[in-house]
Amino acid sequence: MRKTWIAGLALALPLALAACGGSTPPGTAGAGGATKAAGEAIKIGSLHPLSGSSAADGQQMDNAAKLAVEAINAAGGIKSMGGAKLELLSADSQGKPEVGQSEAQRLIQEGAVSIVGTYQSAVSQNVAAVAERNKVPFVIDVSSADAILAQGYKYSFRLQPSGTVLAEDGAQNLFDVSKAAGKPAKKIAILHEQGPFGTAIKDTFSKKAQSLGMTIGPVASYDAASVSDFTTQMAAVKASGSDVLMVAGYYRDGVLVANAVKTVKPGVNAVWGVANGAFDVPTFPGEVGAAGEGFFDSNYHLDGTNPDTQALMKTYQAKYKDQIRTAAVLSYDAVRVIADSLERSGSADPTKVRDAIAQTNLKSLIASKGPITFGPTGENEGAAPILMQVQSGKVVQTFPKEFAQTAPRYPATPAS
Amino acid sequence: MTEQIPSATAPTVAEGEGHTSSPRLWARVPWTRVAIGVGFFVVAIALAYLRAGNGDVVRQAVLTGILIGGVYGLVAMGLTLIFGVLDIVNFAHGAFLAVALYITVTMVSRLGVNPLVALFVAVPVMFLLGAGVQRFVLAGAMGKPLENQLLITLGLALLIDNVLLMSFGPNPQSVKLPGDTGVQIFGAVATVSRLLAFGVAIVLAALLYVLLQRTRLGTAIRAVAANEAGAQLVGIDTRRIYMATFAIGTACAGAAGVLVAPLVTIEPTTGELFNIIAFVVVVLGGMGNVIGALVGGLIIGLTEQLGALYFPGQSPLLSVFVVFVLVLFLRPQGLFGKAS
Amino acid sequence: MNTVTDQSPDQSPDPSTAPATEPAPLPRPIWGRHLLVLAVIAVVLVPLPLLLPPNTQAVAVRVLIFALMAVGWNIMSGFGGMFSFGHAAYFGLGAYVSVWLLVNHGVSPWIGLLVGMLVAAAFATLIGFLALRYRLKGAYFALSTFAFAEMLRLLAINSDFVNRAVGYNVPLRPEFSLAFMQFAPGSPAYFWIALGLTVAAIAVSILFLRSRTGRFLVAVRDDEDAAAAVGVPVMRTKLVTMALSAAVTSVAGTFYAQYYFFIDPDVAFGSSVSIQAILPAVIGGVATIWGPAIGALVLGPLNDVTATLLRNPPAALSFLEGRAGLDVIVYALLLILIVLLLPQGIYGALRDRWRRR
Repeated sequence: MRKTWIAGLALALPLALAACGGSTPPGTAGAGGATKAAGEAIKIGSLHPLSGSSAADGQQMDNAAKLAVEAINAAGGIKSMGGAKLELLSADSQGKPEVGQSEAQRLIQEGAVSIVGTYQSAVSQNVAAVAERNKVPFVIDVSSADAILAQGYKYSFRLQPSGTVLAEDGAQNLFDVSKAAGKPAKKIAILHEQGPFGTAIKDTFSKKAQSLGMTIGPVASYDAASVSDFTTQMAAVKASGSDVLMVAGYYRDGVLVANAVKTVKPGVNAVWGVANGAFDVPTFPGEVGAAGEGFFDSNYHLDGTNPDTQALMKTYQAKYKDQIRTAAVLSYDAVRVIADSLERSGSADPTKVRDAIAQTNLKSLIASKGPITFGPTGENEGAAPILMQVQSGKVVQTFPKEFAQTAPRYPATPAS
Repeated sequence: MTEQIPSATAPTVAEGEGHTSSPRLWARVPWTRVAIGVGFFVVAIALAYLRAGNGDVVRQAVLTGILIGGVYGLVAMGLTLIFGVLDIVNFAHGAFLAVALYITVTMVSRLGVNPLVALFVAVPVMFLLGAGVQRFVLAGAMGKPLENQLLITLGLALLIDNVLLMSFGPNPQSVKLPGDTGVQIFGAVATVSRLLAFGVAIVLAALLYVLLQRTRLGTAIRAVAANEAGAQLVGIDTRRIYMATFAIGTACAGAAGVLVAPLVTIEPTTGELFNIIAFVVVVLGGMGNVIGALVGGLIIGLTEQLGALYFPGQSPLLSVFVVFVLVLFLRPQGLFGKAS
Repeated sequence: MNTVTDQSPDQSPDPSTAPATEPAPLPRPIWGRHLLVLAVIAVVLVPLPLLLPPNTQAVAVRVLIFALMAVGWNIMSGFGGMFSFGHAAYFGLGAYVSVWLLVNHGVSPWIGLLVGMLVAAAFATLIGFLALRYRLKGAYFALSTFAFAEMLRLLAINSDFVNRAVGYNVPLRPEFSLAFMQFAPGSPAYFWIALGLTVAAIAVSILFLRSRTGRFLVAVRDDEDAAAAVGVPVMRTKLVTMALSAAVTSVAGTFYAQYYFFIDPDVAFGSSVSIQAILPAVIGGVATIWGPAIGALVLGPLNDVTATLLRNPPAALSFLEGRAGLDVIVYALLLILIVLLLPQGIYGALRDRWRRR
């Protein structure tokens, strides 16, 4: 008898709740209601991994998007629409493509005029297709895979530089910095995670580096999810006599690389991150201590020399008791791009918003070579990486000159 | 209705017996088999030399492989005990390990103690946690089909991971072992923390071995593993033994967590890293076989490192799984189990 | 046993046909009744997408994909008693084969679906043969299936042949076409196709059980030695079962790829896929015809429900708002409770209840 009860309940509960949950937002059933009643908030969807293994970044990004909406509302909302207020709908992708897809669908059905997200390339791939099919603009804050915008999508835009730009500029920066220091890089050993991100960076970087006259030493790939030690790879780097070690990976593996460098002392002139998820993160020097001193990272990065960015960093620190990361600044920028487009289009119709986004010309809080403007495929043409280095236990901007907080220190033989 | 559930699992339950009767068997292992194993590795190392063309790299690979293998063995020991005695595929083992990681972090950051001191807290706490989980959650699933137990432990893992996420936040944390420097060994280097983890893995294996072989509790555990009904007949309280075994296994995860803490970046999902490898190690060593787990860990550690030298482009995990499948097919009872 | 006729007059799981003893030794089959119920359910569900609020349709399709995967898993692991922890292999093959054909050769996913079924069945036969040849059982068998799925994932990540870890996007078509299984977003056609495939899969599992091989299978599962002794071809029976199971699950993979427009090695072959194939069957009732579908019906919306509930919590629970991870905690707790309290699954528990009455 008891079991029947439980079984019946287990069966009925989710269904009943789903039915209620489904019917809660009345009046917004149609995709992106074009005619907003005066005073009704304009909804923007924020889709990030709030749980799962990328939750740290995902939560920061969601927080930053919230801050952006609050800042815009405090400054009077969207003036061309009678001071209409923005409302952020937060969703959790859990880092899973299929969850991201259905959450994106839900956000659109709840009336989001645009979506910001999503961090993981695999999730962004999915959401881009949803956005395209529903004709709702999707502003990608972070996701590097070139393939996302190679599908000819009209409704997807990307703020961060693509993998190609990151890798090519990474090689160019290495060439420039090492040459200026009088010790031009000759032989580059490469260590990259085996996912699409690391592999793409490795391929493009190698090509560019070779065209600049460098040779490629040993190349090793690893599974970022399971790797636990790099001493063997480091011994191979040491044995090869390479003078630079390029690393393309994420946070956890970046920490392991630093520890292995410290242990094995491969004797390179520089450990050179390209779009590395660890070497330019504020917590990195603290976590690895002296082991990370001198590490470079050529990556997109918040512009610490820009007063607006500095103000945002302060606000974030005050509100969330945490240092804001670059990824979160990109989410902040993404919401600004949408607000700016709403302002210019004067309409909450997603198609009109899309057209306005395509015409964006907005100064970024991220270090870049120009304002945010979108090319024909939706890439941010102003996006470019800059060079960071860990100096005296702090990540500082070192190159190019206009963003430099101090000069790069090259060679920077680690753990010496 | 025609379907019928209980019999679906009949083979599962009946099958355990040949494999479970644990370490005692290892003492009887013919040493020729060990010699063959050693021979294998000599050949493997020679091949690695040819392939890498550099002695330093191979020496480093072997040393790293052995040390990582020690960690794998350490993590797998508790798991193999649980697998062997309770016949439960425990996917929450990694999550338990993560709990110990956070105990260590908290103690180090709040009290400023040496991370190793956390052993004295983590091990008893995890013992109690394990006992509680077995008593209140898993006891209800004993003797149920494999898939039910699997889902419960998976649910537990999900639960623990996200409780950690909620209580400690998603930001990665770390623990430093004071005086953790590189040590030269035969032209290769290793850190003190890894050597320490390796040393404790061996000590722990020895302790468990003694516990299982020389104590009344150990004898009772082995009896239950070998033949539950028989054990019950001679007056052993099997339910208590199940609880004790699960608690000991979880306490092992606690010890492993403390020792692994200085080696990894600590996040709520960190424990998951070890889950898959630990299962491979358990099967390799033969389930319920503590010493086998240690040796299995070494084999997997070396396979991973040397495999990366043979096939630089491929994921090291691939060689691990190839070895795993070969062992499953050729010696399903584990390298050190009795042939069935 | 051999006379398979519709005997029960009323409710499908009728007490009169089933012996009252607890672990009923192969109660009399009522296959025709099952098929009839299936047909009725299918017809009733057809207008569903037109009635559901639009934002729940994605959930409905997800329920059907879950059900399809679990029906496949259930054939091998429920009815066959061979516990698979690697159905991601077949799901992934279905997804990859169809998308590979579509992207590289413009082949319709309908044909891709059939080819995917064949490839998955062949792969299942191969690893099944190996596993049976070496007499793997129980947890060892399960771990070997897991290892093969993982190997496929790692191979896909490392081979240029399938675009490495990048995976594939299904190209969007300007016009919407049945031939390429692509419709307007939110179109009920997706639901109808998924429904059709799921109904077909359940029908196949019913027909399979009433077939000669199906009856052999139950005999083998219950007592392999006895079955072999009376001349049942054990190996062949098991292999056919595995192949069929793999083929059904591969269909879910093909449909998944066409519905979500993107696959990569983790999405297709990841271990979470294998778990997803097991979950609905266990929740609903292993080795029952309706269990997987019922389990999917509960699990599909569960995630959304916990997420929605905690996103906009009722006033009493407002302190929980915005705590990341909490929805997963609730989900995990419910999962554990269901499996503990209803070890036979929801359908299993209900059926026992009816029988005992």
